[in-house]
Amino acid sequence: MSAAASRGLLLLRRAGGVWGIASAAVEGLAPRGAGYRIAVGESALAADEILGVVDGLRVHPPAPVLRRFWPEAMDGLAVHGRMPVVVVDPRRPPAALRYDEGEGVNEGRE
Amino acid sequence: MEPFGTAERETRRQGTHLLVRAGEYACALPLAAVRRVVRAVTVHPLPGAAGELEGLAEFGGEPLPVLNLGRLVNAPPGANPAFPVTVVVWVGPAGAREMVGLNADAALEVVHVADESLVAGDGGLLLGEAPVGGEVVRVLNLEALGREA
Repeated sequence: MSAAASRGLLLLRRAGGVWGIASAAVEGLAPRGAGYRIAVGESALAADEILGVVDGLRVHPPAPVLRRFWPEAMDGLAVHGRMPVVVVDPRRPPAALRYDEGEGVNEGRE
Repeated sequence: MEPFGTAERETRRQGTHLLVRAGEYACALPLAAVRRVVRAVTVHPLPGAAGELEGLAEFGGEPLPVLNLGRLVNAPPGANPAFPVTVVVWVGPAGAREMVGLNADAALEVVHVADESLVAGDGGLLLGEAPVGGEVVRVLNLEALGREA
């Protein structure tokens, strides 16, 4: 299977993994509590940590074996700094990344 | 003197398997599909994945989906493994194969499984069962693993 070089992926950490999203799809990024809220089109994503934006990652198309055992949509897989990266489809982000609007509301308050 | 002719050598090559322990089962993986056996790799879980998929790892600079072999073959859990391994294999049909890690309790030995000794496959991942060294082993068809469900 061939891999394509990505242009501008915003890398973030969430739920124990590293995720990448096309930075061109990101419309806003704001700290919320201990994490971040990322505006992408009509949806919002959550991140525990923002790792930065990288260019040129080799993105492998999602393999059948992965689609078979993980029902979420994605654009592919990559590796950054020896960490596997799931490159998400900005139109259909996985449930683990969806921002709960109640998230972080009470954080940072006494 | 050469012990085997060309055809016999090919038959033996195709029947050569790596025997691994997965829970209480012994599974035979076609040796031609085995790329590497390494100490269990660090796995990053994928939230929402089926139980068979432990998560993702990095291997040789490439992303690697890692499956739990015991869960794949519905093996009853065994004792805690002393030297768990990840067997990096090719799955799927030739021309569209993909690299996958199979987490297992141990890599045991290389064995020959004769086609005629196989019985009771399921037409999918389980090619059949065969007696090897006094134990019934599950012989796996890794091509089937890479097919769409």
